[in-house]
Amino acid sequence: MSDGDTLQHDDSNLASQAGVETIDYDALGWGRELWFDDDLNKHPVVRELGKHFPDDMLDVIRFRNETTIHVTPAKLRDIAFYLRDHEQIALNLLTDMTAVDMLTMRTTPRFDVCVMLYSIPNRVRLRLKAGVDDGEHVPSLVPVWNGANWMERECYDMFGIIFDGHPNLRRILLADDWDEGHPLRKDYPIRGWKEFPIYNTERTVHRARSRWTGRGV
Amino acid sequence: MSSSTGHPEFPGIVEAAREGDLTPYGQPGAYIAGNTPPTGTLTVEDEEFTESGERLMTLNMGPQHPSTHGVMRILLKLDGETVVQCDPMIGYLHRGTEKLSEGKRYAQIVPWTDRLDYTAAPLNNIGYVLAVEKLCGLEAPERAQYWRVIMAELARIAAHLVWLGTHALDIGALSMSLYCFREREMIQDIFETFCGARLTTNMMEIGGFSRPIPDGLVEQVRNFVKIFPPRQQEYADLLSANPIWLARTKGVGVISPEAAISYSLTGACLRGSGINYDVRKAEPYLVYDRLDFEVPLGEFGDVFDRYIVRMEEMRQAVKMIAQCIDFVDGNDTPLMAYESPYVIPPHKGVMTTAEDMQRHFIWVIKGFNPPVGEVWQSIEHSKGELGYYIVSDGGSMPYRMRVRTPDYVNLGVLPHMAQGAMLADMVALVGTIDIVLGSVDR
Repeated sequence: MSDGDTLQHDDSNLASQAGVETIDYDALGWGRELWFDDDLNKHPVVRELGKHFPDDMLDVIRFRNETTIHVTPAKLRDIAFYLRDHEQIALNLLTDMTAVDMLTMRTTPRFDVCVMLYSIPNRVRLRLKAGVDDGEHVPSLVPVWNGANWMERECYDMFGIIFDGHPNLRRILLADDWDEGHPLRKDYPIRGWKEFPIYNTERTVHRARSRWTGRGV
Repeated sequence: MSSSTGHPEFPGIVEAAREGDLTPYGQPGAYIAGNTPPTGTLTVEDEEFTESGERLMTLNMGPQHPSTHGVMRILLKLDGETVVQCDPMIGYLHRGTEKLSEGKRYAQIVPWTDRLDYTAAPLNNIGYVLAVEKLCGLEAPERAQYWRVIMAELARIAAHLVWLGTHALDIGALSMSLYCFREREMIQDIFETFCGARLTTNMMEIGGFSRPIPDGLVEQVRNFVKIFPPRQQEYADLLSANPIWLARTKGVGVISPEAAISYSLTGACLRGSGINYDVRKAEPYLVYDRLDFEVPLGEFGDVFDRYIVRMEEMRQAVKMIAQCIDFVDGNDTPLMAYESPYVIPPHKGVMTTAEDMQRHFIWVIKGFNPPVGEVWQSIEHSKGELGYYIVSDGGSMPYRMRVRTPDYVNLGVLPHMAQGAMLADMVALVGTIDIVLGSVDR
């Protein structure tokens, strides 16, 4: 036995004695239980994005058995294409697309564009989040899913987020000539910016005065 | 790309991209094969001509058209009787439920959810209540879950009856709506016995049910389960072999499976195209994993298949109600998860002990503070997948509440279906998506 062989043998022994298990993440496979594993590195999407989009995966969060992956907005469409067309991951259904105004929860970036994906063959969900500032553009997901058309129009309507490459980006729920901004922003007052007259403030029938106190009841 | 220049009239709005603009992002075939690109902006002043030199006609369908089931306008561009382009205009009933929810405590939002899809209010309640329970990490007791399933399936039948009656009425079977609303009255009577309201029920509470189940309700539900299947067979006899019905529905409004997935359809619109996705089976909530039921699938994805799917869903719903009512009959287990700090304290304790009375006061005045985080909960609504997305910052009001209503997303497929359809089929196409404008516009 040469010295080199002995050293290698000792190294592996030491590692096993210290209780450190080396996991071969590539050999884990694609089982559904991996999507809910406590070790987030075993998550199939985290593994695949770590390989192909290492600089664009910013954060991975698990809460109540739901996985959220923060990605850079510029690569949102590429990642969506990749996850849709991946044979094993197959996140093929765009469940929802919306945004959250994080104005009072953090400083920057201001908005989170949330994309809820579902995989019909795997029966799993995933949430992608892309943080964008006010005025920053996001690539539209309409080339990936036609269903993103109305969801992005609603995002633009409610938050003013602009999606590049959207075929028809205009207001959908509010009127086309709505000039008061975007109502789901946190700095938008709940009654709007305009002053509307308040009716029925004067009493037409006066309140009966109490006999005992002399005040209204 | 034209996006850098901006729209000439509205600075800040990106100019609508042409079809060629989408290719720089790589992937060949940017639009999924078999699909047409989404329609662009239609204006009434548009003047286009066909190859033979005839002018296309622009026609407004709605907003007061009876077959739009509410206030919706569909802008149609017609070549003779053929629809060339179609653009649904929605938002006439927009009430800002999501914005209003940011200023309400968690328990105060339940009545707002009634108004989303007012034909199936208990289903809306269940989706919201389950989302809050997931956020707080609590679970309702077993018996309450069974009662929730009973009410959910009754509401599903009630919503499908409204759909069947109005859909058949649009196509021309006038008598159908009379029969359907007769059975819907029975369901509304059950709701009235259960919670006192018929339409906007507000019947679900966070944590279960705080009031006892009324006497005689089980018999009332059993009576409905006994009466309804033969009545439904009458509807099927009236329609399923009716030559007029077949001519108006078969081969009309075909959606391919690829298009159904690409347009994010859910519910009967997706299953009518043969794709097996039902939230009750895929991600069972409540006690659906213990019930014996089947998910009907269509074959060709036309209006008739979606009709068949919804009819079979009603039969399966009756089957589920029968199983659940056997469980709750004579069952006296608790209805409310009182051990959790997030639910309203028991009425008896409020009346007798100081601690519960103080907790009750705080719960009513200040609400409760769930942990910081965000949850997504989706349920199978009568129209598709109803999703609630709640972001909590630890306060007593949600930081953001998003309602993903199924028919808002499903309505997006209408321009795809209407392309090349006949004008007379538009009412069938709108009816087959099963929209309720309160739910579309939120």
